[in-house]
Amino acid sequence: MKCLELMDVSYRYEGSKDYVLKKISASFEAGKVYAIVGESGAGKSTLLSLLSGLDSCKEGTILYNGKNLQEIDRDEYRSKNVGVIFQNYNLLLNSTAVYNITLSMKISGDMASKEQAYALLKNVGIDRETTDRKILKLSGGEQQRVGIARALAHNPDVIIADEPTGNLDEKTEAEILEIFTHLAQEDGKCVIIVTHSDNVSSVGDVVYRIAGGKISTIG
Amino acid sequence: MYVIEHALLNLGKNKGRNILLGVITLAIITATVVAMGIFNTTRVVIEDTRAATMSAIRIQPIGRTQMTGSSQQESAITLEMHQYFAESLYITGADISDSGRGIEAVYYLIHPDMLGAFESDLRGRGLPDAYTVRTDDAAFASLVAPIENLQSLSVAFLIIILVMGAVIMVLVTAVSIRERKYEIGVLRAMGMKKKSVALGLWAEIIVITCICFIIGMGIGAALTQPVTDSILAGQSQAAGPTTLADRINNAPQTEAVTVDVSITFTTSLQIFAISIVLASVAGIISITRITKYEPIKILMERT
Repeated sequence: MKCLELMDVSYRYEGSKDYVLKKISASFEAGKVYAIVGESGAGKSTLLSLLSGLDSCKEGTILYNGKNLQEIDRDEYRSKNVGVIFQNYNLLLNSTAVYNITLSMKISGDMASKEQAYALLKNVGIDRETTDRKILKLSGGEQQRVGIARALAHNPDVIIADEPTGNLDEKTEAEILEIFTHLAQEDGKCVIIVTHSDNVSSVGDVVYRIAGGKISTIG
Repeated sequence: MYVIEHALLNLGKNKGRNILLGVITLAIITATVVAMGIFNTTRVVIEDTRAATMSAIRIQPIGRTQMTGSSQQESAITLEMHQYFAESLYITGADISDSGRGIEAVYYLIHPDMLGAFESDLRGRGLPDAYTVRTDDAAFASLVAPIENLQSLSVAFLIIILVMGAVIMVLVTAVSIRERKYEIGVLRAMGMKKKSVALGLWAEIIVITCICFIIGMGIGAALTQPVTDSILAGQSQAAGPTTLADRINNAPQTEAVTVDVSITFTTSLQIFAISIVLASVAGIISITRITKYEPIKILMERT
């Protein structure tokens, strides 16, 4: 079942004549892991912004469960339907790890419980003591894990990750990839990972390559 | 509900910025309390003085400027006529005395605005056209002059505070909110709606304002009386020791003019309303500017 679908999507930044994405079409289904690879500046992160509803395309259409993203409330889409893991975490720095998770739950309208948040953080390898520390006092790897937990906090259909294991060691990377695989195969989520890593892209059921503003399937 | 909860938690998290905003808000509110306290009290004092002095009426021959004492012409109005005039419904009473050198009569109006009606009544009761009905304008002017100066000063002070305060608060709030651009970007990226982000930021500003209002009311109330006394003392010194007395019908000056300033409940409500409006305007200008950005632009700026 198609979860997200790109139809002839083109995108260029304000003030720029050059298109980053040129009439690209692709589809993403529930229950699969997708890897998007490409060189730096190829438009991977732009595509991620469009898929996550952080930005909107001026040309072409993006459908979420058959509905045009332009026509639905993108705030609600971000808070309920999609979980985004940013390369640079984008967490609330003055707040604790557990607060970042519970706030995400509250924004989505879910009943937020600290116990649920602790459990989520434990699943991504954050122990109880660390959960009550402010984000600023956590290492890059720990912040990345909190970012992953936050993306999963509101139980979204789509999980979009930008270099999710960039700051993690091999062992943790394997654990995180295991979580993503589990989320797709067991929970039926659509997992989209933007990565440079061959190791990460190897877990993808489908691998898309972006080059020259075009998208192609390579595996 | 979580938006307010988040805002309250943020108060403690952004201590530095909030303390700066609080100190400026406190200074503005304290100055407003002093100015408003003086303004409202002097308004009441002037009104009371007007009611007291402008209600005292004398009958004088036309063309005579001296208000006190009596003359042959004035005393031409007989004691019986004065007593008949004292039956007017526009007065609360009258002091009529015959010192032997002439009749002295002062009538006390129910309200200073009834002067015209009282004069018409007296004409009807036989007051000759050669006489006029006068209030003690000079005494009123002399008594309220320093208080009016104080009131004018408080109005000027209040206008300066409100204009300067509004500008300073807009700037400080703008800087404070701008520093939180990243946080706003993260909240928007998490799906928090613009209006929720705006409500949270506004709630923080209002809570800071309310805390400053409570403290500012205390400090302001304590400062208002000494400031008033100091200004009045300065005016008395500037006017010289006899000037005021000279103005009040050549009576000797026995003591300096004093005003007992009080912060009434109405004044408190006015100050609260001014504080909330000022803080809201400052907040809304800054919040509107910051929330117009798309979250992705804010987050990309950081990277």
